[in-house]
Parts: sequence; C-alpha cells; structure tokens
Amino acid sequence: MILAAILSSLIFLVSLGLIFSEKINRMIVGMAGAALMVGLGKLLGFYSEFQALASVDFNTLGLLLGMMILVALLEPTGFFQYLAVWAGKFSRGQPVRLLVLLGTVTTVVSMFLDNVTTIILIAPVTILICEILGINPTPFLLAEALLSNTGGVATLVGDPPNIIIASAAGLTFNDFLIYSLPIVIVVWLTALFLLRFLFRRELAVRPRKMKAVMSLDPAEALHDRKTAQKVLIVLGGAILLFFVSHFLHISPSFVALSATGVALVWVRPDVKKTLEHVEWSVLIFFAALFVMVGGLEAAGVLESLVGVLERASSIPPVWFGVIIIWVVACLSAILDNIPITIALVPVIQGLGAAGMDIIPLWWALAFGAGFGGNGTIIGSTANIVVATLSEKTRTPITTKLWNKRGLPVMLATCAVATILYILVFPLYSR
Amino acid sequence: MQIKDYMKKKVVSIPITSTIGEAATVIVEKHVGILPVVDEQGKPVGVVRLSDLLSLEMPDFIHLVTDFDFVHDFGAVETTRPAPELLTEPVTSIMQSVMTIEEDSGLLRAYAIMLQNYLYDLPVTNATGGLVGIVSRVDIATAILSMWSME
Repeated sequence: MILAAILSSLIFLVSLGLIFSEKINRMIVGMAGAALMVGLGKLLGFYSEFQALASVDFNTLGLLLGMMILVALLEPTGFFQYLAVWAGKFSRGQPVRLLVLLGTVTTVVSMFLDNVTTIILIAPVTILICEILGINPTPFLLAEALLSNTGGVATLVGDPPNIIIASAAGLTFNDFLIYSLPIVIVVWLTALFLLRFLFRRELAVRPRKMKAVMSLDPAEALHDRKTAQKVLIVLGGAILLFFVSHFLHISPSFVALSATGVALVWVRPDVKKTLEHVEWSVLIFFAALFVMVGGLEAAGVLESLVGVLERASSIPPVWFGVIIIWVVACLSAILDNIPITIALVPVIQGLGAAGMDIIPLWWALAFGAGFGGNGTIIGSTANIVVATLSEKTRTPITTKLWNKRGLPVMLATCAVATILYILVFPLYSR
Repeated sequence: MQIKDYMKKKVVSIPITSTIGEAATVIVEKHVGILPVVDEQGKPVGVVRLSDLLSLEMPDFIHLVTDFDFVHDFGAVETTRPAPELLTEPVTSIMQSVMTIEEDSGLLRAYAIMLQNYLYDLPVTNATGGLVGIVSRVDIATAILSMWSME
C-alpha cells in the first residue's frame, strides 16, 4: 500500500505543479491526472471506476452548472453593462465614489453569481468609464477583483470553494449568512478602506470630463430588458429558495437546476448559444479533481495526513483554525484554490471522524481559500481576468503593481479575519 | 495595360530614420492616407498608414466593449493626445510590413492582390526594387472600367 500512496501522491503533486506552471490548460492536466489515478488504482487494486464516480460531488457540479446557465442567459441582455454604467453615472464622476460603487456592485453581484463572469463583463465598462473621465482605470479594476473575491466568501454560492465546503460539511445557505457574512462585511470594509489608502494619489486626481459620464444612460446599455427581467425574477426565486432549502430538505443543486429549468422554459433561448457561455472546462476540471482526490483517499494518503495532524491536536482548537486560515491562504495565493479545497475536504472529514470538532475548521478553510486568492496576480481567476484585460490598455496591471497593492489587501483581510475568527470561535464550536 | 501607365508618379515617402511625429506631419501636409518608408537605396521597407497613427489616440475601450452605442460623449478621450515621447520614437516602431507591385504588372492582377490582402493603396517598384510610384484601388478600378466604354 505504501507504493500506492507514493505513486498516487506523485500524480496529484505533479498535476498541481503543472496547473501552477500554466504551461498546459488545467482541464487537460486534470483529465490526464484523473485517468492516470484510476489506471494506477486498478493496477494496484486500491481504486476502481465505481469509487472514482462515487467521489465526484454531483451536488457541487449541479449547483455550478445551474448557476452557469442562469448567468449565460443573463449575459447577452446587457444587464452587467447596465449596472456598471449606473455606477458610473451615480458616482457623478467622483473617483472615490466610483471606486465604492463599482466595488459594491461587483461584490453584490458576485455574491450570487459567478464572480469571473461578473468581472469579465463589468471590467471593460469600467475601462470605458475611466477613459471618458480621463482617469487611470487601474485602482478600479484592482478593487473589483479584490472586493469580489472577498465578498464571495459571504454566501454559499459566492465562490466555488464555498460550494464544495458546504456540500461536504452539510452547511446551509443560512449558515453562511449567519457565520460568514458578518465577518466578511468587516473584512470587506477593511479591504475597501485599505484600497482607498493605497490608491490615495490616483483617486485624488480630478477627472477632466465629468459631464460625459453624466450623459450616459444605463437603460441604453441594457439591450434586452424583457429577458433580463425574466432571468432576474427566476434568480430572485432561487435565492429565496436557498434561504428555506434547509427546512424543505432540498439540496442547493436542486434549487439551482430547477431555477435553470424554469428560466429556460420562460426565455426559450437559442440553446447552442446559451451553452457556449457555460464553462464546461471548469466543470470537467472539478470532476477530474474529485476523482484524483478520491484516489488519494483510497490509497490511504489522506488518512496518514490526518494521522499527522491528529498528533498536532494538542494545539488549542482555535489556533488550529488560525493555522488553517493562513496555510490555506498562502497556498491559495500561489495555487488554484479549488484543488486545495477539494484535497483538504477529506482531510478535515478525517479529523472529524477522529473526534475533533471540525465545524470551525470548515470556516477557517473557507476564509483562507477566499481571502488568500487576493495575494498575487494569479491568486484567483478574477485577478487573472482583470490583469489580462488591462494588458490590452495603455495602463497594464503588472505583477509588481499587484504585489504593492494587492498583497497588502490579502494580508490585511486575513489578519482581520483571524482576529474575528478568534473572537467568534465559541460560536463556531459546538 | 501596365500599372506604370496608371500609377501616381509623384509618390510621397519618408526615410527609415524618421520619427512618428515626422510621419504624421508629412501625412497631414500631403493629405495622403499611406506613407511608404524607404531605405537609403530608395527601396520600400514598410508603410505607415493614417489608421496606424490614429490608433495611437483611439481609446482602449473600443477593443474591449462590443457595443458602445450608449456612449454619446467620449468626454476626455476627445481631447487626449498621444504622449510627446511617443512622437519622437522611430517610425519603425509602428510601421507595418509593405506589399508592393512591379511597374510592369497587369491591372487585374494588381486589383486582385489588393482585394485579397484588404489593401487600398499599393506602392509600385521598378525592376531593381526602387519605389517609383503608387496606385490606389480607385486608380486601378477606374482604369479597368474605362476600357468598357472603349469597346
């Protein structure tokens, strides 16, 4: 069994390394890694196809797929453009107000919808608004990525790691609103004030043309009001159902997928076009990671990791949680936070089986995975998106700039989250 | 019917040592849309187009936002000029590769080359590769059309 443990760990670590190197698309790495893992498992007799299928968390995949289709329906209506233009107009061209409004809009939307899509659609309009104002778009783009990463931690559907954690730990939508949202609000405000401070020079510039922004009409940016209304009504219904899903004993994935069904019947879109907007590669990547981590579990790797961690259980539980926040945050800053979360879920479950109170650890994992992504330009997909978009402008966001303005935000958010975690720890532990 | 009978022989060009600012000045003064860049031997090595120069001033968002119908006032962009440092950069930094045609080439062939490569102007060279003239799509097309009425 030692051979199985070594070889399966090797497959997983090499895959992680390849994903980190970004030389090969992560979905391709995931697919190859998963196939190798099952092949090795069959060969050495520790893992079968059936076990592989059983390790895929279809609740996570269903919820993601449902939300992705809903966003795909909303995307072409111009709704995201509408929001950004509204923020621009309402700011009356004042840079600080613009930062707060765009940051808030992006955060609130990405608390319920995929934050990558939100950023992809709001960032170009942000650049537009800044250009007609005659100001540098960098602070606004950075704020959108950092604040939406931070805000995403607040809800079950806000961020993929949350979906994975909630599904594994049985945490409900309301659990997130009670145990995560209040902390995230404080952390988010910290991030906002820090950004305001870090970019004080850029934000002090008086825009040359405020009038141009005032002449923008959000309604004109909304191409398809009717479809937008329909999808938003369905989305509102889904969010209401998320609140009560626990009492009705229905899973979040069922809520998302049935909402998608209703929206599809109501809108009746061109199916081919709609499905083009769904990030199939992400879904396959997730499934492949579940299969790989399932292999690690079957080979006994995670068990021995749990054993090592158990020996450390002399550490007071609250500090154990704090360590998880920081270790996961540092890992998420340089690696993709999704494989980290998927790999740590069975480890935490193992600690639970060994008698540890793991509810606080789930929250530590969620905070670390969420806030850690702010640390580097490659820390989260949202960061990569704004950096890539800015490369097409005259003011590209560089790694150096991110280290100067983004990294402090990660450190501050993790520090504030740690303090709050320690303060509310008695509430987490049962 | 060769290109050399229909080309403009007074072709405006600039030396390879010019700056972007100098290219812009010549384009404005001569009111031309394309400026061949020539080396010491008078051979074309590239072109500067009016559109390449203008793109230095165009806002970034037009490449990022699919539809900007809702922007009625470009605001600060209308009065944004390229940085002065940019204008002193060598013209080679923005010049594009050039496609030329020999002076003894046929008209239809020249027109077909322009169509296929989405070109509107084509510098004309002699046997040794020296720049001797320039033709536009309109020059060639009207020359071809004029044959119709003669028959």
